[in-house]
Amino acid sequence: MALQFTRRAAIMAAGFAALSASMAVAQGEKVALITPYLAQPGTQFYVEAFQARAAELGWEVNVIDTAGDVAAVIARMEDVTTQGVSAIVINVDPAQVGAGLAAAAAANIPVIGMDAGTDPLVRANVTSNGYAMAAETAVYVANRIAGAGNVVMFTFDAFPPVQVRGVVADAVFANFPDIKVLDRITPNVDDGGIADSRAKMEAILAANPEPGSIKAVWAAWDQPALGALQAIEAAGRGGEGIVITGIDANPQARDAIAAGGNFEASVAQDFAGIGRTTADTVARVLAGEVLRQNVVYVPTVLITAANVKDAK
Amino acid sequence: MAHFLRTYGTLLGMVLLVGFFWISLPDTFMTARNWLNISQQVSMLAVVAAVMTVVMVMGDFDLSVGSMASLAGVVAAVMFVQGFGIAAGVAAALAVGLLGGLVNGLLVSLIGILPFVATLATLTMYSGLAFVISGGKTIFGRDIPQGFADFARGGIALGGDKPLVLPYLTLTALAVVALVWLLLEQTSYGRRLYAIGGNMEAARLAGVRVTWLRLTAFGFTGVGAAVAGLMYAARVASANPTQGAGLMLSAIAAVFLGMTMAENGQPRVLASLAGVVVLGVMDNGLTQMQVDSYVREVLVGLIILLAVSISALGRRAVTGR
Amino acid sequence: MPQLSLSGLVKTYGAARALDGAGLVLRGGEVHALMGENGAGKSTLIRILAGLERADAGEILLDGRVLTLGSPAAAEAAGLRFLHQELQVVPGLSVAENMHLARDYPTRFGLVDWRALHLAAEAALQRLGVGHIGARVPMARLGPGDQMLVRIAATLLQGSGPAPWLYVLDEPTAALTGAEAARLFTAIARLKAAGAGVLYVSHRMDEVLALADRVTVLRDGAHTSTEARADTDQARLIHAMTGRELSDMYPARQTAALGPVLLSVRGLAAAGLASLDLDLRAGEVVGLAGLAGSGRNAALKALIGAVARRGRVELAGAALAVTPAGTWAQGLAYVPRERRAEGVMLLRALAETVSLPHLGALSRLGFLDRRAERGAVAARGAEVRLKARGPGQPVGQLSGGNQQKVLFARALLGRPKVLLLDEPTRGVDVGAKFDIYSLIRGLSAQGVAVLIASSDLPELIGLCDRIAVLHGGVHTQTLAAEGLTEAELLARCYESPTR
Repeated sequence: MALQFTRRAAIMAAGFAALSASMAVAQGEKVALITPYLAQPGTQFYVEAFQARAAELGWEVNVIDTAGDVAAVIARMEDVTTQGVSAIVINVDPAQVGAGLAAAAAANIPVIGMDAGTDPLVRANVTSNGYAMAAETAVYVANRIAGAGNVVMFTFDAFPPVQVRGVVADAVFANFPDIKVLDRITPNVDDGGIADSRAKMEAILAANPEPGSIKAVWAAWDQPALGALQAIEAAGRGGEGIVITGIDANPQARDAIAAGGNFEASVAQDFAGIGRTTADTVARVLAGEVLRQNVVYVPTVLITAANVKDAK
Repeated sequence: MAHFLRTYGTLLGMVLLVGFFWISLPDTFMTARNWLNISQQVSMLAVVAAVMTVVMVMGDFDLSVGSMASLAGVVAAVMFVQGFGIAAGVAAALAVGLLGGLVNGLLVSLIGILPFVATLATLTMYSGLAFVISGGKTIFGRDIPQGFADFARGGIALGGDKPLVLPYLTLTALAVVALVWLLLEQTSYGRRLYAIGGNMEAARLAGVRVTWLRLTAFGFTGVGAAVAGLMYAARVASANPTQGAGLMLSAIAAVFLGMTMAENGQPRVLASLAGVVVLGVMDNGLTQMQVDSYVREVLVGLIILLAVSISALGRRAVTGR
Repeated sequence: MPQLSLSGLVKTYGAARALDGAGLVLRGGEVHALMGENGAGKSTLIRILAGLERADAGEILLDGRVLTLGSPAAAEAAGLRFLHQELQVVPGLSVAENMHLARDYPTRFGLVDWRALHLAAEAALQRLGVGHIGARVPMARLGPGDQMLVRIAATLLQGSGPAPWLYVLDEPTAALTGAEAARLFTAIARLKAAGAGVLYVSHRMDEVLALADRVTVLRDGAHTSTEARADTDQARLIHAMTGRELSDMYPARQTAALGPVLLSVRGLAAAGLASLDLDLRAGEVVGLAGLAGSGRNAALKALIGAVARRGRVELAGAALAVTPAGTWAQGLAYVPRERRAEGVMLLRALAETVSLPHLGALSRLGFLDRRAERGAVAARGAEVRLKARGPGQPVGQLSGGNQQKVLFARALLGRPKVLLLDEPTRGVDVGAKFDIYSLIRGLSAQGVAVLIASSDLPELIGLCDRIAVLHGGVHTQTLAAEGLTEAELLARCYESPTR
């Protein structure tokens, strides 16, 4: 038994020695990036771009994934606060990790959000501008129909990030006296949003059988746009030139746009840009800059048939 | 000597672990603030591990504690959304915990299903119910009363240069552990649970009401899981139908770690607490040392295997087989 | 005939000397019994023979040549086979497959040749004279006796390896019924006739006297005597084992006036028991005798409340409760037959087994009074002459006799009115037996009523005032024990109920 014990101590010592050696002693700033969602594809784009930029800046980045456990995000925020990192980046709703934010604030460690949300204790949240994305597609619609005709809107006011998109589109269309909003539909999203949007669109097409009586469909995200496209094609009215737009530019939407049919435009978020800009924002804070804006927007890209093959 | 090491081997390992982190992180690890932090981080796990010990004492298991914790949090949050106060939300969650625990007990003791199978089934059921009640969404923001979330942020000020706070969550966990300790070690109820684990048929023939005791013990574990779920919901100021899922495996791991330091490998609640602390210290120390979070998981698993292997080898050395 | 001689064996564990110069000579064609109290060194000797332990000193010669038994494989190569109380069988597999577990299955074209497998197994079973066991039957369907016979038959399979010539049977009948034991004895006779030797380790005097050609007795790790069967008897063997005379075995009855009826049983019936009528008076010791399956054990289980029962039972004038929790509380106490399975908690402190039925009385508001518990356990432990390091020692570390004493201490802790004892001296060495008999005597002198179910007929005659005889679940007669002979009692056990 005594022998076994010595062996055990040896194993532990060896393990810890290897562990210590693996911790590269870097000179630069130590920054912790904590997310419960690393397994999600979008998150990986941000994190990789953040790490690339941080490497250029000579930082030592510790990426911590808590595999969906939000309480563990708080725990790890407390741990890295104790460790004394230079800054913490979070990728989770600040409302859920208040205790961690308070711990960091007490130790004067800045917290920056990466597509997280705003909070008094978050120096800045780096994200895409929902207002701007809606304006891009609404204006695209207005221009394509030469400022005149009936438009169908698909919105979802119950979810705040989508609600702002609808408000912006309302304002854009109201500014054109000859554009009439035929209907403002909130689809049932339990099935993902495509099927119910298609059903609603079919009803509207039936009520407005005259060619030209519907000029455009504006959707606050891609799924209703895809549903409307299916309804229009199924009704044999694909040739009327009804313009459809969505937002988010998901792969299915990109395919539809590339096909050159009625679905003409959507808006893509720049995930890599968000990661890079987050790193730059951290750098600004570490340099002592006091940020006036608590939200930093990363430009988005309008996707149309012209650039759908090149835009990432 | 062999006896000493078998009993205190894991404890010694703990001391080595702490010593290692102390040396590697000289400024930050061995501070009152960090330990208070750890105590708060492991508080929910400590509660689940303590009540898990109650059923493991009988040689049983409760795999449903994690989903029960999620369900309890969701029930409280939905009550808040409906406009009920904190007391009503907490009471409803605890009642659901008791009910769910008794259902487990009923299946195991009256119907006679193996605990592993029975609680595996209720694990999925309770998890499904949490999704049904919450509609699959995370409930947070203004729906969660400020007072509820503040409980997890607050504590008793201890003074000091930079004011230290003994968190309420830590106190709650200590209270639950103390209660379980009293129940298991100081009451005839606890002694009878150990008797059931020691030899169920002998206990029955000696006049122990096995069915009733197993039923109530599972009820107790259900309530404990609900308490942990409420603590979790308060800490993240939100409730989500999967948030307690990780607690179950960690709790079982903690009890097993504890069993390696108890005489004859029996589950003891204070040993389970020590197991919880080992897991918490590993997480805290390795995060501070910037060890990759996936490597951290591998290391935690290795430590558990190491402790259990040493204990098994020690027992073999003693019995000679 | 091969001959294995062991001499001067010494084995120490720390300070304890388990073997101190023990030795014996084993020959083919002979049954050699090994006796001794627990702790006499029997198990250590067997472990050395089996290659599980090495002796510190001593010599083992096989046909005059030094034999080194460093491993179980070496023991097997020397032709030795061991059969323990706890059988290693796979219940789900057939008899034939169990017999082939340790060797290769016969194959044909690379696949298992099931026909050859079954034929080989049947041949081996026939050679042992146990053709009543089918080779294709699942092992789980056999009783423990037949399972043991299968294990023995497995060693008779033709083919690989050296043929076995010496069988070591360690308490083989501990779990067997009388009929099963009889079949085992037939098989042993066959082995002997075929030239094999048997080392037979047992507490059971009657078996040893019936089977053995020679008997060796160990005491305190040393060789006490080896005698031919014809030259010895029970009295001599008990004296050799204990240094005590047989006449002292059953303490004399203390003539005390019997008290009022404490336990009144009318028309008691349960699974395996059709009817029992009995009045048990304070200070009285009553036995339940019968063949295996007669219902004597079922009667006790029904009384304590472990199984459902019918009929009217009163304890001190009040109807008896139907659950163990209730009957213990009313003043009934029970020592079960299966000590390990039904009695003790092997890994837990012995005090916990002792106090378990009495926790209610030892608690205040649900909180255990540990001091009162410790005091009560220590007092009862002393009363039953329990040998243990302390109340915290796990039961599993005690000898069989001391484990049984733990259960007696438990039964006495609540100061019972009626004591139910199921095979109270099963697997217990002679010294502990004597302690238990004295204890029973002492209790009856204090006015406790005792009901004993036992398959050990001399024990019933020596201890009881009256003996109720059961046959096939029916209570056939009640006899006065005084003057009864073992042969007469056995004859009564075989009598069917008169209709």
